Amino acid sequence: MFDKFKEWYDNRHDYAQAWKKRTGGKVLGYFCTYVPEELLIAADILPVRILGSHEAQDVTEPHIFGMFCPFCRDCLAQGLKGRYDYLNGIMIAQSCLHIRQTYSSWVKHIPQEFSYYLYMPHGVQTPHAYPYLRGELAVFKEALEKWMGRPISNKNIDRGIEVVNKNRQLMKKVYEFRKQENPPLTGLEAMYMVVSSQMVNKEEHNRALEEVLKELPNRKLNRNTGTRLMILGSEDDDTEFVEMLESLDSTLVVDDHCTGTRYFWNEVEPQEDRLAAIAARYIDRPPCPSKDWPERKRFPHILQLVKDYNVQGALVIQQKFCDPHELDMPALRKMLEENGIPTYFLEFDVTVPIGQFKTRVEAFLETFALPDLF
Amino acid sequence: MVEIKYQTKPLDIWNEGKALRQQYYENYAKAHEKGGIRWAGGAWAYSAVPAGLGDDVWSLTGEPYGASVAFNKEFAARCQEAIEAKGFARDLCAYLRNYLGSVVLDEYVFGGKFPKPDFMWTTHICCSHAKWYQIASDLEGGVPFFCIDVSTGLIQDFSERRRDYVVNQLLDGIDWLEETTGRDYDDEKLIQAVYNECEATSLWAEICAMNKTIPAPLDEKTMYSLYVFGTIMKHRPEIVAFYRKLRDEVQERVDNKIAAVGNEHRRVITDTQPPWGFLEIFRYLEKYGVVSVGSLYTFSLIGAWEVKDDGTWGPKTTPQEQGIDITTRRQALEILADWTHARPEWQHFYSAQEKSDMMLRIVREWQVDGVMLHYNRGCEGLSLNIAENRLAFKEAGVPVLPFEGNMGDEREFDLERTKKAVDSFLELLGVK
Amino acid sequence: MITAGIDFGARNVKVVILEDGKIAARGTALTGFDLKIAAKEASEMALKAAKLKLDEITHITETGIGQGSVEFAADSVSEVGANAKAGVKLLPSARTIIDVGAEEARAVKCNESGAMEDFVVNERCAAGAGAFVEAMSRALEVELEQMGPMSLKATEAVPMNAQCTVFAESEVVSLIHAQTPKANIACAIHDAIAERVISMVRRLGITEDVLLVGGLAYDVGFVDSMKRGLGVEVHVPEFPEYVSAYGAALIARERAKE
Repeated sequence: MFDKFKEWYDNRHDYAQAWKKRTGGKVLGYFCTYVPEELLIAADILPVRILGSHEAQDVTEPHIFGMFCPFCRDCLAQGLKGRYDYLNGIMIAQSCLHIRQTYSSWVKHIPQEFSYYLYMPHGVQTPHAYPYLRGELAVFKEALEKWMGRPISNKNIDRGIEVVNKNRQLMKKVYEFRKQENPPLTGLEAMYMVVSSQMVNKEEHNRALEEVLKELPNRKLNRNTGTRLMILGSEDDDTEFVEMLESLDSTLVVDDHCTGTRYFWNEVEPQEDRLAAIAARYIDRPPCPSKDWPERKRFPHILQLVKDYNVQGALVIQQKFCDPHELDMPALRKMLEENGIPTYFLEFDVTVPIGQFKTRVEAFLETFALPDLF
Repeated sequence: MVEIKYQTKPLDIWNEGKALRQQYYENYAKAHEKGGIRWAGGAWAYSAVPAGLGDDVWSLTGEPYGASVAFNKEFAARCQEAIEAKGFARDLCAYLRNYLGSVVLDEYVFGGKFPKPDFMWTTHICCSHAKWYQIASDLEGGVPFFCIDVSTGLIQDFSERRRDYVVNQLLDGIDWLEETTGRDYDDEKLIQAVYNECEATSLWAEICAMNKTIPAPLDEKTMYSLYVFGTIMKHRPEIVAFYRKLRDEVQERVDNKIAAVGNEHRRVITDTQPPWGFLEIFRYLEKYGVVSVGSLYTFSLIGAWEVKDDGTWGPKTTPQEQGIDITTRRQALEILADWTHARPEWQHFYSAQEKSDMMLRIVREWQVDGVMLHYNRGCEGLSLNIAENRLAFKEAGVPVLPFEGNMGDEREFDLERTKKAVDSFLELLGVK
Repeated sequence: MITAGIDFGARNVKVVILEDGKIAARGTALTGFDLKIAAKEASEMALKAAKLKLDEITHITETGIGQGSVEFAADSVSEVGANAKAGVKLLPSARTIIDVGAEEARAVKCNESGAMEDFVVNERCAAGAGAFVEAMSRALEVELEQMGPMSLKATEAVPMNAQCTVFAESEVVSLIHAQTPKANIACAIHDAIAERVISMVRRLGITEDVLLVGGLAYDVGFVDSMKRGLGVEVHVPEFPEYVSAYGAALIARERAKE
């Protein structure tokens, strides 16, 4: 029943091209989940998040210095190799330096009808960020209107908000099932579900989610739940790793990834000023560490997930060279361990040495099987 | 060896500068003895703002401090080990690691214990800035911390609305400063600090612009020791005084054709912070008559520039030169925000093209023969888009040498390999 | 006129002696710890083969890591400069010369007269190309000389991380444990190195003809990976390991004439 999501994920380009052909609409590729999809959908644009392909490549070396994260290079490689040639436009919501660089190179070397750099603020904890982002969204909306050649009405925006909010609600409902003692879905299935949502028409995705929600209450997986794990850190759609992990008597029950909960956790709270409502949603969402200061607001949120999902252990992963996560990691691991959650750290590259990681994760999992001494 | 063509002599002001810097770090360390205040933050911070708390407010800016640590290789290695032992990754900003390592060791690179700041005041322009002081605050047991988001983009996009975002944060910051320190805030002192900062940073640009002359009156290695004042106390009166004197002396060198390097034969520029422990690489270049006359980094991390009537870069006209009378807190902050966000080195965070264009301008106006790009593993912020900059130079037919290193972590710099690469570059420039 | 070039490589020192512009002899010795001894050994080997004495050589130019370490060399040239000179001499149509040795990879773009136009050298993360093949041949328990021929028998492409040797090495160990056929692993190793080298060369832009030199050019598996990766013909000269030394000897000849 989760096959649809995997199919979308595996055939993301075929999907987008078919959508374009079927609807005659425009497809916009975006970097970073701070991009307000509500407005894109309001303008009848299909937003697709640009992700890597987890293949070795040799095309980005002239463009990006080797000490920037593998993810940002993998993304650029997709563009340089022409895999996203069907895109009509490209945009970024200001986030970490690494992915901004991918955007910069992309704009320079891959022709586009439309490109946009949204000045998403970093200071999401200052009250001034709300009116500021509202203003940025107004400028962005104007740019979209100019590109599309038609105004975006309040009605359009309401539809955008509604469909994205519904997607969030439905995915959250599916996540609810992961709280069960024996979750009826695996972490891998959940990953396919969320990441595919970043690639396909949200209404279609919502329909697929509704189907899943109908069947989930009666679904039983013929597998052992084993140790309940959380996975958290930088961008992660390494399905091969997750599959290996869940073959080892463990289940991923929740995550803090931008390919997971950080993407969809909170909703737009409707208010008369639509743009203000959307702005508030992105300011208040579970933050990327690059925006999580002066306080670390992500931490209590993570702890809440740990409690709600009855997490036993956490895999802290990061893309190699991902500074924002590296800067949070010591405090994050300390916080989890002080709360009785053992952590294990893994560094990800475009591909991971799966055999070695297996040995290491097995050792970590064994620590949960040790009997208490007293 | 290349023939000596020009007369050369050391700067008269050199020792004065050295004393000023020493005095500054001492003032910070001893601030409490005289009832003063200490704060820590980035070199990119709005340092003029805490000046409203009084004349006895001293700051320790993290980047130059990290560079000072890097100079002392033994201490730097201990700092790096100390912070790595706390679980911090080795590929993080080298200044941050040197600074935080120094905090963990509780040792000040200038001697004694690490002087704990009373508060932290910074801006967030690269991914590390706010996080740096978030961690420092933790390590120091919860020092109050305020950070301003300055991610408002290119100066041409700096609309009133965007400026308001910054100014409103600064206004909140002033309330916070009063609350945190228990002192009353003096707007007159803020206004004076804004005038000072504008003049000091414009003076620095004026000094750098004199390096368009052949022979260059200053070489980049010397400039590193001089621009640093702009990173540690750009708003203070003693810096204005120092840069005025320096400007006059450099003008004299220009008038009398006194060169920084007597055998100047080819002119290059660099990019990003240099590997601080290995400035000998500049001496090596000089052996072949190659002089680095500056960089976007040395010119404009601090320097304030504008395009003059003839289309070339020159020092930015200060508010006082424009006859602007600053009378209110808000006006002072608005002027400061406009001034700060226009600095060239701020632009490159948003566009590879913008940075390439600025560097190509320097190549033209400073009569540069080649470019050495330091792919700096210690600073992702300034290495941002550096590979695209390299492509732009190639496209423009400017010889370019990328060399890999680290501004603050000597484990990542290989002097012999770099010299070999420089040799190939010297062949390309036709001097070896 | 007799001139010579000495190339101090990470693994071997190579000497080429030219008599009236033609190669008269070659010599080599392990670099070891003492560059002077290695230079002496390699020179003596070449001198003996050419039936010459050291003082009969008009001009000696050195290149490589140990520049300035032997007093009989008159001057020096960079490896990329030497490669450009020799590459065009060996293959007049060569415009991109890629040199992959034990520890370093470098490439140079040149014009028809063998003058350098641009160059790249590998960064630290991509270091150790030839040494990596050697270490991996031990892990696979295969003779180093067999790595190439074995690699050509691969039946399936195995993806391997190419960014960093340490990562790649752990992947090889995983593959061995997963009982992947040795030929496929050997091929994956060559592909991974080729990919790193090609990544770097792309910074120059690939201008044909492409000439591959350096010790690793002896390895047919690596050459095959380079051809597939670049998608263009890759030429390998005879004695690829001596190309830098040859270039230095050619430059010595030019300088002696000046």
